[in-house]
Formats: sequence, structure tokens, C-alpha cells
Amino acid sequence: MGFNKNSVEKYFSQLLLLGILLVLVCFLSWKSPFFLTWKNWRNILDTISVQLLLALGMNFVIATGGIDLSQGSNVCLTGIIMAICLKANFSVWSAIVIGILVAAFLGIFNGLIIEKIKITPFIVTLGTSSLYRGLAIIITGGMPIYSFPTAFTFWGKGESTQLNPPIIIACIVLILAVFLMHKTKWGQYSMAIGGNEEALRRVGVNVGFYKVSYYLASALMAGLAGLIITARLNAAEPTAGMGMELDAVTAVVMGGSLMRGGKANISGTFIACLLLGVIKNGLVILSISSYYQQFIIGFLLLSAVVLAEVRQRGQIRF
Amino acid sequence: MSNISKVPVIKVENINKSFGSIHVLRGVNLEVYPGEAVALVGDNGSGKSTLIKILSGTYGPDKGSIYIHNKQIEHLTPKKALAEGIATVYQDLSLDNYRDVIGNIFLGQEITKWGFFLDYPAMEAIAIDLLKKLKINIPDPRVPVGYLSGGQRQGVAIARAVFQGKEIMIFDEPTAAMGVKETATTLKLIHSLTEQGIAVIIVSHNLFQVFDIAHRVCIMKHGRIVKEIPTGDSSPQEVHQSLIGQTGLEDRMEQIYGI
Amino acid sequence: MKKRIIALLLVLALVTVSGVGCGQTQSETPGEAPEVESANTEGSVEQKEELQVNPKVKEAEKVLMSQLEPLPELKKDVKIGALVISLTNPFWVGMKEAYEAAAAELGITVEVFAGSTEGDKQAQLDALDAMVVKDYDAIILSPIEPFNLQPGILRANENGIPIINLGPGVDVASLEERGGYLDGRIAVDFVEQGRKVAEDMLKYMKGSKKVAIIQGIIGAGQSEGRTQGAKEVFEATEGVELVSIQPADWDRNKAYSVAQDLIQAHPDLNGIFACNDVMALAAAEALEAEGKLDEVVIYGVDFTEEAREAIKAGRMSGSIAYPCSVYAKAALILAAKVAEGQKVQPVYAPLEVVNVDNVHEFEGWK
Repeated sequence: MGFNKNSVEKYFSQLLLLGILLVLVCFLSWKSPFFLTWKNWRNILDTISVQLLLALGMNFVIATGGIDLSQGSNVCLTGIIMAICLKANFSVWSAIVIGILVAAFLGIFNGLIIEKIKITPFIVTLGTSSLYRGLAIIITGGMPIYSFPTAFTFWGKGESTQLNPPIIIACIVLILAVFLMHKTKWGQYSMAIGGNEEALRRVGVNVGFYKVSYYLASALMAGLAGLIITARLNAAEPTAGMGMELDAVTAVVMGGSLMRGGKANISGTFIACLLLGVIKNGLVILSISSYYQQFIIGFLLLSAVVLAEVRQRGQIRF
Repeated sequence: MSNISKVPVIKVENINKSFGSIHVLRGVNLEVYPGEAVALVGDNGSGKSTLIKILSGTYGPDKGSIYIHNKQIEHLTPKKALAEGIATVYQDLSLDNYRDVIGNIFLGQEITKWGFFLDYPAMEAIAIDLLKKLKINIPDPRVPVGYLSGGQRQGVAIARAVFQGKEIMIFDEPTAAMGVKETATTLKLIHSLTEQGIAVIIVSHNLFQVFDIAHRVCIMKHGRIVKEIPTGDSSPQEVHQSLIGQTGLEDRMEQIYGI
Repeated sequence: MKKRIIALLLVLALVTVSGVGCGQTQSETPGEAPEVESANTEGSVEQKEELQVNPKVKEAEKVLMSQLEPLPELKKDVKIGALVISLTNPFWVGMKEAYEAAAAELGITVEVFAGSTEGDKQAQLDALDAMVVKDYDAIILSPIEPFNLQPGILRANENGIPIINLGPGVDVASLEERGGYLDGRIAVDFVEQGRKVAEDMLKYMKGSKKVAIIQGIIGAGQSEGRTQGAKEVFEATEGVELVSIQPADWDRNKAYSVAQDLIQAHPDLNGIFACNDVMALAAAEALEAEGKLDEVVIYGVDFTEEAREAIKAGRMSGSIAYPCSVYAKAALILAAKVAEGQKVQPVYAPLEVVNVDNVHEFEGWK
């Protein structure tokens, strides 16, 4: 019987990731004088901001036992819609708002099909992923849209080398996500849907409403990510955001959230993103070819999943 | 039995329910009074489970009416049922294994500050109090229920139902997965609920187990309640005998008249 | 611009009706760059083009056509199939248009197909499989990587449809091992591209002479060839230090991060060669955010519309160009030649380095 779980046990995956991160940080700062500079860390945070946003949104969806494979396409389509609005001389604010609204709409669309027609999220979002990407290609005719006002590109880069908008947005959303996941009904129900959806229905909770809201949250994060990368790159193109949804899933699962839902871990997701960012940064800093990058990420992901699964099986009765 | 009043807490009339071409319930009538324990007994497929799913609002009946305190309730949903004080302990316990004991007890009825913040200290205090009152032995209510034993998990499910259900509690096969000792504890717990004036409906396929705590046994067969026997003036053996006799007759009638 | 708004509304309407029938959407002119005023009326196109043709393009055409002698007799009923990489990449969108324009000019028929995305090798093979059962006189194809189209080429060989390989190369050794063959090859010499860019870069680098290369997808012919060529030049030149070679998978966002990290690791970096313009543009954005755009010379490859503007504005230092219009025309003529049964030699497209000093000579370059 597993009583008196102490904190080490409870926060095992976070601590493990933190340990790896620490070792890596020590190693890299020993190897390169540039690693521990503020500017380099600002870079790392800047790079992971997009992945973190998507992973946070994905975390709520995965907590329900679902998945949102349309995130990457949503990022792309949102960016393109903002770009078109800007090119049509809309104000920067209205372009951003329209883009985010479209993202929200795409998320609700995902949620409604999943909830009302009762098709598995994997299939639905796989389909909408292709649908949204296709729309992006049709609208742009395959060509990039580029060169925006500085008031817009500010959202991707900021004006100085200090904290820039992507990092600030990601931080705010991170704090908000921790609070929502652990301190509110809304967050708790995401895990409860993954843990035992039927139980939640039986106690009179409108499960459908909540489910749609998590896909909406995921899509809103995609909208923000779309804003950031379009502004940062000063271009929107139909190939943008490709594969980003899988990077988000990687961070979520590596962070200790369960793929089948029921248990989500926001702080773990953050540490996983940071770890992945440090690995990518470290390889460039050390001028090591990123041939190794794929291997290392795959290895870490598999280890995290296997470890979590083995521990789970040993302890939980069903 | 003296405290049973004349107004039934819950009354159902002529409940019918079909799934596709299968006619599961064919006109069920049932009344339960405050402080009374009614046992629903019958074979698998006799319609017990469907009946309690209708009472808890999971299914809507095709035909028939439901009254709570003599007030007819249209379109009973799980939410409405809970609001009317009907709580159910499901056979599968309906627990979220990853959630701690407190979280499971308050599932769907969380206590919040300013309607937003979850108020953990308040919930923990109530949960500890409730578990103590029900004599359920769980030392740490912050442990995920997946870590608990079968009896403890049953205890959590009952604690939740007690917290939710102020009027009527429905138990679906409460002792199906239990050992002898745990069964006795659970039955004692159910009995203590009736003493507090709560109406209890117990579904079971084991007549002998529930006989001692039930005031009335309703025998279900082919989607109907075919016989109601007060337990006060008969023995389990007699009821069992009549159950067999009754069903024997039913079967013959079915053969003859094709009902 | 109005068209785009209409398209946007159309998209929203489409999403609302759950995407049914999205195949029927009238897409607008593909490849219309946002700044460029869109197409003139049909009749005037040719005349205008005649006037606008860049002298350098004419020169390139001459070089290419001389390689194609003797020119084939072009009958009206010649029908060529072309398979490009993907219509999500501006370069290949440009090639598709170039094929169609060249076919109209030559008075033959061309049908252009593509895989779904730049990474989807199977989808491109599926497209080729569908093409080899049709009645083309020849097929021009550009594979995503050296091996993915080989099964389709074998089927085309069986069906007797001549195959021309344009651009990224098919791996001929393994194809021949499997009993297949190519009937012709028209290409850009990727190694030569890398060499020429690197040589031009050296002229513009004034500082530390530390350079880095941003690659495309590891293993892709363009990426490996250009890297190899540039590497040769950098390593052979005294005083130049090649500090890092990092892949960014042709992805703008990845290239941005890589450039950010490169400038951290090597604060005195003096040059970046990106294996295509999209990645070079991303590097320019990243360096601008760092305030180091002036210190680093950035070169790309392809000379897209976006790159042309960046070079003019001094954000990028240069790129390497080969005219799509002539390239496509030469490919069609080559295809017609093999369809007639002529044996042909490999044809190489002439390359032009574009930089801040000569970019004005490339107006109207297509």
C-alpha cells in the first residue's frame, strides 16, 4: 500500500528532469564562456517560448486523454490571416485580434466535432490539421507574405536585448496555466475527464462544455504562437509551424503528464521545454552537428515515458 | 419502522425503457419512504441496473413519471438528481484513480472561494470529518485513490454519495467485489444511513446478504417488479422460496401466453 | 488585395460548413507575391514580357540553348508531365508557373504535379505513379531526395515514358542497380552554387572572417551540395575560419533560432551562408534583433522575390540566381528531344551571383 508518499516520490519526473538540466548546464558552462551569459539565456527562453505556449495548451488537452494535432496548422493559418489583415492595411491591433479570433474559432470547431460527433480526438485533429494547412496553402498560393510594420514585428522581437514580448507572454501564460490547472475547477476537470469521464458526467458536470473549452485553450495558444513567429520572422508562409504540435507533445509527455490523461504536470512541461531548449542551444554553442539532437531528444522522451509507465504500474491499482 | 412517513421520497410510475428492440423495463412502479431500505433483487438482465440509472438521471425513461416528494420531475438529469438529493454509489465506484480522496469526494461539488479558487483546506476538513463519521479508515486523504485497497475505495465512493445525497441513496451491487469482513462493514454503514432518515435503494443479486438491512425486498424479472415482500414478517428462506415459485410460474405463463 | 479578403471570408465560410467541398475553392493566382501588382490581361502579357526581359536572362537563355542543339521539331500534340517538389515552396511555385509559361510559348502542353509538402516523400511518389499511367510523351521530375521516386521511374521505364531529371538529382547508381535509367538530366550544379556564393562572400567580409553555414534537411541533395562547395572554398582560403555547420531543415523558425545561437557562440561572426533564401532571411531577422545585422554578411540561394527586396534594402548581402523561365523552357525542349528518341547529354543551368552591388541588374529576372 502506497501511503505517505513523500515529495520526492510525488515530484519524481520534475526532479529527474531538473537533475539532467543541472548536469547539462554545468557541463556547458564549463565548456563555453558564452553559455552562462544573460544574452544566451534570453535566447534560450526566446526559442522555447513558442514551444512552451503550445505545450501548455496541449497539456490541458492531453490531460483529458485527447490530443490536438492541429496546433501547428493553426499556428500557420493564424499567422497568415494576421499577415493578410496587415497587408490590407488593418491596424496592428485589429490584425492580431482577428488572427486570435480565427484561432479560437478553429479550436472550437475541433472541440465541437470531437464532442458532438464523438470521434476520437486523434482522427479529428489529424483531419483538421490537414484542412487548416490546406486552407493556408490555398489562401497564399504557396507563397510567403512578408514585411510588416514594426509595431507588429515588435511582438516577436521587442526593441531591445532585454526581456522581449515572446518571453513575457510565455511567462504570463505559464503562471496562468499553473494556477488554472491546480487551483481551479476548470483545470481539475481536464484531468478528471482523462481520469474518469463517466464519473464526471454522473456528478452532473457538463463534460462537453469543458472538453470544447480545452481545445479552445489549445487553439488560443496556437494563435499566440502564430503571432509570435509571424512577427519574429517578419513573414507568414504556408509551411510555418509544421511539426510544432509534435514538439509540444514531446514536452508535455517528457514533463511527466500521462498521454492517456488523468494526470498533468505543468511545471514538468516547463522544465522539459527548458531542457530541450538548452540541448539545442548547447549543440550550436559547442558547434556539434545537430545530427545528435534527434537522438538525444528521442532518448530522453522514451526514458521519461518508460520510467513514468513503470512507476505507474507498480503503484496504482485498477 | 415507526419513523416511516406517509409521503414517499421517491415514487416512479409505469417506467418503460427500450434499447433498440430490447424492451428492458416494462412498467415499473416503486415507492420508497424516508428511513426505509429497499432491496432490488433479480437476475442479470432483469432491469435493476437500468432502473437505477433512470433514478439517478443517467437515462431518461421512454414512458412513465418520476415524483420526488410528490412533485413530478421532468427530464431528470444527473445534475437535477443530485440537486434533489439523490446520490448513487455505482458498481464501478465511479472514482478517478489519479485524483486524491478529497478530490474524489468533492468531484463536481468542489468548494470554491469567490466562486473560482478551489478551497483545499475547507474541503480537507470536511472530508476528514466525513470519513471519521462513516468510520472509513483512510489515514491520508491526499493519497490518490488508485493507491487504496478495494474496501477503502468503496468507502470513498460511499463518502462521496453521503456528501451529495441528503435524501435518497442508491447502491448498485455495493458488496459485489468485497470480502466477508468488508461486506459486513459496508452493510452496517448502509444500515446507519437509514437510521438517519435517509431512504436507501440497494441493488443486489444476493438476497441473503441484503435481507438483514432491507425493510422490503422487491423482486425484479423481465423488466417488472413481480413481487414485493416486507422482511419484517418473513425469513430469507421463505422469500427465496416464493421467488423461485414466482419465477417458475412466470416462466410457465411466458410459455403459455407468450408474454 | 481585395481578392485576399474575399478568400479569407471564403475560408471562414468553408470552415463553418465543416470543410466539405474545399476542393472546389477557386484559389487565386498562385504565386502572387503580396507587393507585386497582380497579373495583366491575357493578351498583353507576352508583349510586356518581351519588353521586360532582363538582358542577363537572355544571356542565360543563349548559354542553355546552345547546350540543347540540335533543337527538336515541336509538334502541337506534344504532351509533357512535370513533377515538382511541393507547391508550398515559393521556388517550386515559381517553377510551376515557368513551366506553364514556357509551354505556352513553345506551343506544347504541360501538366504540373507536386507532392503535398516538402517532407512527404511518399505523396510525391504517389503523384508520379499516377502520372506514369497517363499518355505523356515525357516526364520531367524533381525528387525530394535521391531515392524516393525510384520505384516510379522504374514503372515509367517499363511503360516507355522518357524521364528527365530536373534540379535535385536522382541517385543514378542505385537506380541502375535496380534496372532503371534516366533519359536526360538538366540541373543546377549545387556544388558550384556553394562555391560561387562562398567566393563572392569572401569579397564582402571585412571583419574576423569567421563564417557559419546553415543547412537544409540533412541528406537533401541541394543542401549537401551547396554546403560542400562553400566548405571547399572556405577551407581553402587562408584566414577564413568555418566555425559551424548547423541544419535548420529549410525551416524559417528553426533557422532563426540557429542564427540566434550562432551569434551567441561566436560574437565576432562575420558571415552566414544559408542553403536557401528563406533561411537566410530568417538569419537576417535574428541578427537584426541582436543588433548585429551590419557586422554579418548573409548569403542565400534561389534569389526569390523576398530575397531580392532584402538585398536591395541591404538586409541580405547576396544570393545566387538561375532564371526559372529559361530553366523550365530548356527542360521542356530537352523533354521533347528525348520524346523524339534523341540521345541527350546532361545540361547545366548557368548561375549568376547576385549581391548588393549588382542587384539592380536583375530587375524583371524570372
